[in-house]
Amino acid sequence: MEYTENQSNSNFKEQMFNYYGDKTVKLNPMEIYNLLPKTNCKLCEPKTCMAFATKLALGDISPDDCPPLLESGFEKNLEKLREMVAPMLSAEATGIKLDEDKCTGCNNCVVVCPVDVAAEPPTAEGKAAMSTETVFRVENGVSKIINLEKCRRFPPDRLNCRVCEQYCCTDAIEIW
Amino acid sequence: MENIVCNGCSLLCDDVSAEVASKTVNSLGLCRLGHTHLETAVKHKVSSKDKDLEKAAEILANAEKPLLFGWAHVTDEAIKEGIELASTLDGHFASIADFGPRSAMSHNIHAKGLEIDLEYVRNNGEFIIYWGSDPSESLHRHPSRFAVLPRGEKIPEGIESRTIGVVDVRQTETMKMANHRLVIPVGTDAELLDTIISEIEGKSAIKDKVLGIPGGELIGFVNGFQKSDCTVIFYGSGLINSGNHDANLTRIAKLVEVLRKKEKEAYALPMFVQSNTMGIIKNKQGVGSLQEIANGEYDISLIVGDDALANLPGPLAKALAKTKIVYVGTPGGLTDKRAEVSIHTTDAIIAGVGTMTRVDMNEVQFKKWKASKDDDTTRDILSKLRELIRMKKS
Repeated sequence: MEYTENQSNSNFKEQMFNYYGDKTVKLNPMEIYNLLPKTNCKLCEPKTCMAFATKLALGDISPDDCPPLLESGFEKNLEKLREMVAPMLSAEATGIKLDEDKCTGCNNCVVVCPVDVAAEPPTAEGKAAMSTETVFRVENGVSKIINLEKCRRFPPDRLNCRVCEQYCCTDAIEIW
Repeated sequence: MENIVCNGCSLLCDDVSAEVASKTVNSLGLCRLGHTHLETAVKHKVSSKDKDLEKAAEILANAEKPLLFGWAHVTDEAIKEGIELASTLDGHFASIADFGPRSAMSHNIHAKGLEIDLEYVRNNGEFIIYWGSDPSESLHRHPSRFAVLPRGEKIPEGIESRTIGVVDVRQTETMKMANHRLVIPVGTDAELLDTIISEIEGKSAIKDKVLGIPGGELIGFVNGFQKSDCTVIFYGSGLINSGNHDANLTRIAKLVEVLRKKEKEAYALPMFVQSNTMGIIKNKQGVGSLQEIANGEYDISLIVGDDALANLPGPLAKALAKTKIVYVGTPGGLTDKRAEVSIHTTDAIIAGVGTMTRVDMNEVQFKKWKASKDDDTTRDILSKLRELIRMKKS
């Protein structure tokens, strides 16, 4: 069988647009740190401003967890930080990439994803996903992420689950 | 979307669906291989012409020594019809299955048949080994449907309840899923199997590096056999087409036997890729030989459902190309182009009728769907051809 380059390339671009768009959420901790009060007041759980910036970049805490930032004089910084982390709270801010150019449609991601197994139990036994309730579904020979917001990496779970990446033999799935 | 059966490879997936809307093919569950196969089949324009049938019958009826070759991508019913046609023509029936698969299935290792099927592997297989086979390249859904990832009756946690080993002569994509990854030099499978067997028998055969594999790593692999209650070895073309197939399969059979003596379940299953290799083996008994083809002993070749000129090794393809070719099968490919007469038939995925035999010997019935066109099936064309030849001969 031959795969046409044009077909796979166009699919790849579409997938990139859908799941990244202009909402890239790779935040720079230093950029965040520069917007913090930099007092190391120890009022937050991470205790230092640099640690707070790192956790904020990872999406583990919110700007509102910094008490001094809520005081007068930091309104603009708070607003800027809220804008910066906002994409992390939306479905697009996943940190998962599916390269359709590499995907063989093997269904590994469908069968190994715990969310898919719960949403459509026959996938646990290796069956292809047919419903619209799963995170992954193989359409037209390649896997698609159809419900990104259900991925356990998202709020409220925010688990560091990487099974789809781990069992993707062709490295089509990349998580960071 | 309607349920269909895919014949893109020997897994014959029957849990997939598809639709054709405004000449666009949409599918769910089909792997890239299957979807591409379906798209190609949908685009085929098929119509058999009486004058082509007449011409083909004329050529075949006048053949001195005809060869009937191909069959790996047609239904069981078409294969049976082909065997009848070979009898009518007093011709030689041969196929791609004669390269390794047939001799593997005739080997003592399968004296009792395959013993288990892929559903059994899904439900029971604890230690899964891909030896000289790489499903990531050829049978994309094998790990997810049956052998590695799915949960089963005795495999409640899926991959977490299994151990995976891959043995090959190179790094393969399947190795990414494996707990044990052994890369060995070409042609050393039997030596490695001997070492593993000795170690399992308690002879402490592993002292240091074996075939470049660190001793500790190999002992870990051997421990996998000893810990598992159900071991399944999926052997592929790397084992049966490496020139030592008999020695390799004999060792695999011995390994299975040694494990069974230790009251463990152990099985070996083949990983043939072509969609209906097992259909050929099931319907046509005996070990075939391709030497006569290479020797150029045939004057006419009827090639059915296989682009033989593109797929065969060079010397055989050249020998076939020197014969007068009648081609029956889906449109396209070198054999179709080179043939004296071509009769185009509908692919089974579109026809939706007939059966093929899955790689584990289970029969799978094709399903009719809206895009189905069951006229001009390969079976029907071969039947018409046989009737015409019979009339000419009488």
